[in-house]
Amino acid sequence: MSREYAVLAVLAAVTVVVGELTWVRSGVFGDRGYRITMAICLFFMVLVNGWLTKLSDPIVLYAAAEKTPWRFPWDIPVEDYAFGFAMLTAVLMRWRVLGRRLEARPSVPTVAP
Amino acid sequence: MDRYQYLLLMGSCVAVTLPLEFLFDARVWRRPLRTAQTLWPVVAVFYLWDAVAVARNHWWFSPTKTTGIVLPLGVPLEELVFFVVIPICALLTYEAVGNLLDPARRSTLVGGRLVRERAA
Repeated sequence: MSREYAVLAVLAAVTVVVGELTWVRSGVFGDRGYRITMAICLFFMVLVNGWLTKLSDPIVLYAAAEKTPWRFPWDIPVEDYAFGFAMLTAVLMRWRVLGRRLEARPSVPTVAP
Repeated sequence: MDRYQYLLLMGSCVAVTLPLEFLFDARVWRRPLRTAQTLWPVVAVFYLWDAVAVARNHWWFSPTKTTGIVLPLGVPLEELVFFVVIPICALLTYEAVGNLLDPARRSTLVGGRLVRERAA
């Protein structure tokens, strides 16, 4: 019972949150668009992840010893939510930071509305 | 056909989110450089995580539902596709939501086309 996946998943989520607040500062957590996006992604994640992990006919299989016994809903390991949160939040943080950099560059042509 | 199941699932994610690019003018696929710049470090980290997880038997993959194509460090092709496709779905959603929350941003971004749309 080493539960390495559970540990790594929590570590990844915490790293992303701490990284955002102390280093990247993309402002993603204050963005309403981010929170709505994550809610929409969560809905579709349950569908896709549910299909990948369904115990009746799984595509991805997990070692019981490396995770918590909790799966919700259907057979989705709860660790996957931390995994997905970390991955998508990191991506949206970078997207915002790169966008800010592009906007700051005066050579980018802007079209007046 | 069954061994393409994971890839087909990823393909359906691309297909379902593709309309966001055009109907809500998400402009993710049309900004390939910014998208690639955004994705590469995150893909790299999660690819390595996958390599560790496979090596340490945290998870494994159904041999009947995957192609069996294995990339360096033992990562299945499908997993790399996942790490690229799912973030793109999220970016499309984020940009579509952003445009819906702030229509002015959308018209500024694309100029004439949407201004005409708004005037119509």
